Amino acid sequence: MGIATLPDIQRWKGLGSSMGEILRVQNLSFRYPEAAKFAVRDFELTIKGGEIVILAGPSGCGKSTLLRAVNGLIPHMYTGEYLGSVSVGDHKVSEARMSELAQTVGLLFQNPENQIFMFSVERDIAFGLENLAVPPDEMRTRVDEAMRQLGITDLAQRAPHELSDGQKQRVALAGVIVMRPRLIILDEPTSLLDPKTAVELVELVRRLRDETGITFLIVEHRLELLVRIADRLVVMSEGRKVLDGGPEEVLADERAAAYGISIPPISRLRNQLKRDGLPLENGFGPDDLAEELNREALGR
Amino acid sequence: MYWVAGGFIFRRVNSPFHSLDPRVKLLVSAELFVVSLTAYSVTQLAVVMAVMLSIAAVSKILKRVGRTLIFSAGFSVFIFVINLLASHSLLTSAVYSVRFLAIIISTSLFFITTSPDELEQVMKSAHLPRDVVFAFTTAVRFIPVLMLDAIQIVDAQKSRGLEVEKGNLIRRVRKMVPVLIPLVVNSVIRSGELAEAMESRAYGAVSKPTSLHSYSSTKRDKLVAAGSLILFIITVYIYVRFPTPL
Repeated sequence: MGIATLPDIQRWKGLGSSMGEILRVQNLSFRYPEAAKFAVRDFELTIKGGEIVILAGPSGCGKSTLLRAVNGLIPHMYTGEYLGSVSVGDHKVSEARMSELAQTVGLLFQNPENQIFMFSVERDIAFGLENLAVPPDEMRTRVDEAMRQLGITDLAQRAPHELSDGQKQRVALAGVIVMRPRLIILDEPTSLLDPKTAVELVELVRRLRDETGITFLIVEHRLELLVRIADRLVVMSEGRKVLDGGPEEVLADERAAAYGISIPPISRLRNQLKRDGLPLENGFGPDDLAEELNREALGR
Repeated sequence: MYWVAGGFIFRRVNSPFHSLDPRVKLLVSAELFVVSLTAYSVTQLAVVMAVMLSIAAVSKILKRVGRTLIFSAGFSVFIFVINLLASHSLLTSAVYSVRFLAIIISTSLFFITTSPDELEQVMKSAHLPRDVVFAFTTAVRFIPVLMLDAIQIVDAQKSRGLEVEKGNLIRRVRKMVPVLIPLVVNSVIRSGELAEAMESRAYGAVSKPTSLHSYSSTKRDKLVAAGSLILFIITVYIYVRFPTPL
């Protein structure tokens, strides 16, 4: 499927990679009703516009709760003990309406099947715009743009049950992008995908960020795929932020594995070589490492 | 199970009937429904069935209508037996059971040729509340998903020794419990995720949402509607004016 570039999307609300802060989580704590413990505790996070940030941590550490707090499902849909504040763009999440937040933060759920409502791809992509009463002509333009951007124009009339998992993922992402959000949250986007489709999705995220300046917050366990495009890696444990920094820096931190992070084999090898005294630079792919080792060998 | 239930899942087909305005399809289907319901003689029923099967053939859905009939055959036999016991007339019983099948075909013609999106449009044009329309279309949308879930659960339970095809009817129904419980649990979890996704995509933000597609009747739609209406009136007139014995 061919993917077109879209200059129109770059005009979204004056987006650009040089923009300032897009997300600010200040001292956030949240406890579900009747739960003994806080799911998220004293959480602080700031994300700048155009960044790709990976959020990692073991199951049950509060990642999903944090995502819900960022896109407004907490406190608008899930009530509980809510302390601190979350601001996305110009909106304070607890005070903004969900319809306002839907145009600022997009959330792609782990299973795209559960966020495709309509019986044809193009109708589903238009779902959010229909809910905002966008005029049909503008809606048509934006839906076509989103389909071109995601390379799914040829699927426009297909029914959801006729799509592969990778195609469903793209359709669901198109339904998010069509709202022209400033921040997109992806909840384990590669968990249902085969390795080839997962790589394609990762490349798509990089391209969308580069072309539109959209900010991405991605919850992911398969770090070997995403660290190559990420600007930061944030690690959560028991509801708290425990590590935050550049991916290479966090993956080199000995505490990362103790917090349940699966360190990619290539990073483990790089860390070991560095500990053995090789002056390696930063990089994540096997090609980067091979090139550096060649350079090092030639240098000697 | 999947083969029979698959008869109820909409598939896009290029045919003159599929491409009609959904409201016209509903009108034709409703007319055929009334004509099937009021047909009283074998001849009348035969003519109505022939018309409906012709439409099904033109619409390239004969096989799918056949599947729907297989699904309904059990109830048709039940109607036949009950009427035979009550009336002791073979012909009366046959007419009642065939009439039931004719009614099924008349409704199938609409549902098999109308996509849930078109169905939604029809419901909207009837000014039904949006929540009702959305709940209905979402239920239709998730039929294939739930069917696949059910098949996977049956396969998983079979691999753990459950023999769903063995035993009498009561035992078989009992054996469906280990299938139904995970299916219901899955559906409840899915509905929670659906609700989150709806909220995230501004569902309910405005009282009058817009629509990507707007349906307008073409000249052909109007001709079909008028033609079917005339035929309907003539048929009802014949039924009333010339009542025929069984």
